[in-house]
Amino acid sequence: MGSFGLLAPLAWRNLWRNPRRTWITLAVVGVGVWSILAFDVLLKAWVESSRQEALRLLTGEGQIHAQGYLDDPGVAQRMPAPSGPLLAALNGPVVSAWAPRIRVTAIIQSEYRTRAVTLVGVSPAAERKVSDLPGQILAGRYLASPDEPGLVIGKDLAEKLKTRLGKRVIVMAQAADGHLGEIGLPIIGLFGNTKPAQDEFIFTGLGAAQRFLGAGTDLSEISFDAAPDAGPNNAVAALSRAAPRLDIQSWETLEPLAFTVQSFSQTYVAVWLIVMFVLMAIGIVNTQLMAVFERTREFGLMQALGMRPRLIVVQVVLESALLIALGVGLGVGLMVLTVLPFAGGLDLGPLGESMENYGASSILYPKLDAHDALTVGVVIWLLGVAVTVWPARSAARINPVLAMAAL
Amino acid sequence: MPAIIECRGVTKIYRQGAVDVPALRGVDLDIETGDFATLSGPSGSGKTTLLSLIGGLDRPTEGDIVLGGQALGALNNAQLADLRLRKIGFVFQTYSLVPVLSAIENVEFILRLLGRPAAEREARAREVLADVGLSGLEQRRPARLSGGQQQRVAVARALAPKPAIVLADEPTANLDSKNAEELIELMARLNAASGITFLIATHDARVIAHSRRRIEMVDGKIVADERAGVTIAA
Repeated sequence: MGSFGLLAPLAWRNLWRNPRRTWITLAVVGVGVWSILAFDVLLKAWVESSRQEALRLLTGEGQIHAQGYLDDPGVAQRMPAPSGPLLAALNGPVVSAWAPRIRVTAIIQSEYRTRAVTLVGVSPAAERKVSDLPGQILAGRYLASPDEPGLVIGKDLAEKLKTRLGKRVIVMAQAADGHLGEIGLPIIGLFGNTKPAQDEFIFTGLGAAQRFLGAGTDLSEISFDAAPDAGPNNAVAALSRAAPRLDIQSWETLEPLAFTVQSFSQTYVAVWLIVMFVLMAIGIVNTQLMAVFERTREFGLMQALGMRPRLIVVQVVLESALLIALGVGLGVGLMVLTVLPFAGGLDLGPLGESMENYGASSILYPKLDAHDALTVGVVIWLLGVAVTVWPARSAARINPVLAMAAL
Repeated sequence: MPAIIECRGVTKIYRQGAVDVPALRGVDLDIETGDFATLSGPSGSGKTTLLSLIGGLDRPTEGDIVLGGQALGALNNAQLADLRLRKIGFVFQTYSLVPVLSAIENVEFILRLLGRPAAEREARAREVLADVGLSGLEQRRPARLSGGQQQRVAVARALAPKPAIVLADEPTANLDSKNAEELIELMARLNAASGITFLIATHDARVIAHSRRRIEMVDGKIVADERAGVTIAA
């Protein structure tokens, strides 16, 4: 503590002996940290956007199916409505929301065109809790009740079918008894802003679909969101214990692309961190070596006066530690200021359509995660301090005799 | 008086490329406690080299040096650093203050390394600064002190931990006549008042004139050693 009391103020004052050099180093570290965090924030915003696009459409954070449904998603692979332990688990603390569905491959036919689609029977109130799609209605309305025999389809699909809101279309699908069912349904709503889904899915009430398919109260799938404290994998584990014969999976296996993108994002950030750190390290070591070189006499004098070489190392490292800490603070501060204006979303404009093709939204929501900022800051600080051991050891190796002769 | 420094057969040879350059050639020297001695001689005579060896900044090629009863050859670098800290005060030619520290902080520097309590440090630093005539200038940094004032701070710093000996290398070399004269008188007065031994390498005749013992070196050897007109060795 005695030495620290001597060295800390000395280190702080030494930083400002050459303000220009200090500001240059601060800029190098600050911009480096800013760029790492900017990359991290944008990548995470994109990953989260992709994840949300994937999960908030229909997937949820996990799904329950009858065994074999994912390999052969037909009406034959269905399961009874949840009851007993499964119902208790779905309403328990590990699940925040769940929605029952029946889902089959179908044909939709307008007056002019026919398209292959997936018919999804939904319970509207439950669906709103696990999916954003009910909020994407561009015209008309969403389903009001599970028994409503209306149809909500994508705006693009309506255009391709050359039909419109209020018109009736024919939906054909294989029913539970094996015969081809057919039903005429009015289009009560058109949804949009969910590009991948617009052509693929059509929605009707769960009860209406079950009656049409002759499936009783059976379901094809249950989509659920995990409670924030539990997380998807814990929820899957708890539900699997409650219903061991059902196929229960988290979004990580249901949406492998989104999961892979998320997994790799940390690697990308780590690679970028290494690249930026190498550039920063060159700047830090160079300036610190210069600082040591300029103070050869002073370090020699300190040793001549009885300061141990170990304390000289501590002195130089302390200066670097202060300098890099300031640089890290500057970088994080810059990043906070950068992110602040985009709290309401960053509209990618013309780039947005390209982003949608890659499964992300055209609007990203960049957020600076305090944990990430702290991690990047600490890693850069530690690595930065580590590389300055070299110039510090150079300072400690200065021969006091040569310094004394030069004095 | 007992000897604070004992040099026996001290030789120092510097190697420059393939050539050996002898700086000291078998120097025998005793400095007594409380002495005020000068090492004089032309440039290259070995004054600074001998001062460096006595101060534990370098090691002799041959021979032994004992400082305050401690053989320097038996100490490692860290122990030498401790010895310098506790027993030796240094005054150098120029730039011998830490520029980012004020006068009082420069004086306290060694006391901090010694781990002295804050109150004791400050009191002692103010005391020695007053001794060298710098009361009122404690908070000034070196850049705002004249050359003479800077050397006074250096003397104060050297004296602050009450060392066994003060080694001064050309302390007046960069001072004008008035400041040089004042510094010499100051060091002589402090020697007389504190009993701290002073060994000064110099070729300044005014410094030599104030010394009680005058050691003259030529080509790495002591060629004259006089105390108050009495020749001790030649």
